[in-house]
Amino acid sequence: MAFNIMVIVREVWDTRDLAGTVLDEGGQVKAGALATRFETEDLNALEAALRIKDENGGTVTAISVGAPREVDVLRECLYRGVDQAVRVEANPGELDTQATAGLLAEAIKKQGHYDLILSGVTLAEGENALLGSYVAALLGIEQISYVDAIEEIGDGSVVGKRGIEMGYESVQVPLPALLTVGVALVEDDPRTPRSAKAMLKLKAKKVDIPALTPGDLGVDPASLVTTAIAGHESVPERLIESKDVDPDDEAALKSMLDDVLKGE
Amino acid sequence: MSDTLVLAQIADGAVHDVSLQCVAKARSLADASGGKVSCLAVGSRVSEAAKCLFGYGADAVYAVEDARLEHYLTTPYKKALKAFLEVHPHPVVVLPATTVGNDLAPMAAAELRAACVMGCDDVRTEGDGTRTKRMEFDRKVFTSFSAPAGTTLVVTLKDGAAEAPAADASKQGDVQAFDAQLADTDFVAKVLHRDVATKSVNLKDAKIIVAAGAGLGNEENFGKVRELAGKLGAELGATRAVVDAGWLPADHQIGQTGATVRPDVYMACGISGAVQHWVGMSESKTIVAINIDKAAPILKRAHYRIVGDVNAVIPKLLKVLA
Repeated sequence: MAFNIMVIVREVWDTRDLAGTVLDEGGQVKAGALATRFETEDLNALEAALRIKDENGGTVTAISVGAPREVDVLRECLYRGVDQAVRVEANPGELDTQATAGLLAEAIKKQGHYDLILSGVTLAEGENALLGSYVAALLGIEQISYVDAIEEIGDGSVVGKRGIEMGYESVQVPLPALLTVGVALVEDDPRTPRSAKAMLKLKAKKVDIPALTPGDLGVDPASLVTTAIAGHESVPERLIESKDVDPDDEAALKSMLDDVLKGE
Repeated sequence: MSDTLVLAQIADGAVHDVSLQCVAKARSLADASGGKVSCLAVGSRVSEAAKCLFGYGADAVYAVEDARLEHYLTTPYKKALKAFLEVHPHPVVVLPATTVGNDLAPMAAAELRAACVMGCDDVRTEGDGTRTKRMEFDRKVFTSFSAPAGTTLVVTLKDGAAEAPAADASKQGDVQAFDAQLADTDFVAKVLHRDVATKSVNLKDAKIIVAAGAGLGNEENFGKVRELAGKLGAELGATRAVVDAGWLPADHQIGQTGATVRPDVYMACGISGAVQHWVGMSESKTIVAINIDKAAPILKRAHYRIVGDVNAVIPKLLKVLA
């Protein structure tokens, strides 16, 4: 049984190991202070989609909102083997997540029949949580969130293994459905997303990625915005005095344990 | 005036502790603005457990009882919350930032055309509106959000956003049943199977936590970590990878879908410190990290950095402690 799968992908701020301050003197996020990256959980969602296609056939369509800044996530999807990519042209600065979801939902409807929509769940402290859920709500389909593995797909339904507090649950929903995929992947994890393929890179480097405007979709994103950013403020930095302890120096290890255990 | 509704997550006859923190937050919102705090419990056999919510500060408690809701399911919960808010409007809705609250909040917000902010550290009254804020950008920035006037604000609150309130047994009331008119067609999703650990460890109140990560490599090495924890009188914590490997039950997990802890001493053994883990232990007073990879994020944030093979370092620590 072949499945048509949509994957929602995002280019997000790379907030790992930020050095220095993020905000300028006016309390705005400094332009150029942050690099961007392919949202890691979206990469997991992409991998999950490609695996279903590898096993069952069908198509995978990648979809994203906004023009690329540093990483063209849609082209990266083509390099990894999706059949097509669709861009929704809009200025992310003028959108909140609901408005973004409104655009995505309409763009997905335009692609015709789909069985499954996959996206990354939420960042632990992200700017882009909730997107998948909004899309599911707008399309009126069932969702499973925090999916660590797709256990079964076929026969009009999908079973997702959902990571919950202190354990797991297996949830079955009818297709079409939207699954948000999580998983903190470790490097040697066999589930690690595949990398770009040189052959596909050559092929897709210059491919035109079709773009849809809010007008094409009949959506006025401004009318969908519900959440306003009232402001940013810097979190007082927690100064950590780090000490290196030589693992081969038993006296140093002992002194560290003494310090730590007496509460210094 | 700001009437606040709290979704009380109840499992196995007890209210989830983050829900109690939500009640405390709602109480302070209401007290600041002269509003009321209502709680809504949804599930099977939840009314009895919901009674205690009066003691924690609720002015009114409602329950949607449905035998089909043995476990959380998105659609019926969403319908129940929506139906409730249509009859009893509340401008602010607070849910715990758990895998239930974070699943439900955006679904409900989309239905209600409400504003929604997840994983918040605070929600407060400011001027004539409600503001909510959360840490972003690697915990360097607080971003505040607001909803336009007349728009409901749906918020999920993180564990630790408020102190869990102390119960006042003298405050009592009746839990009112609410009929959400759930239809069989709302139950197309099914929980086929569940594997949830029973809570056998109290990580939240632990003074010292020794935590194990995938860097240990195998269960035998993990045994040494257990020994170290025993010697230090510490509780054992773990990353999701360790729980997935079956070395420890899931109630030991720390991080995004595990516990949030604030011990005096956190000893991270073979843990790289991915954000999913870091969010659960970043407020530890003293962090000791042992990792062979000197680029591991946890080392940048540790008070004591030991760059070395964790499986060689732990026996040395055990020797020193002998």
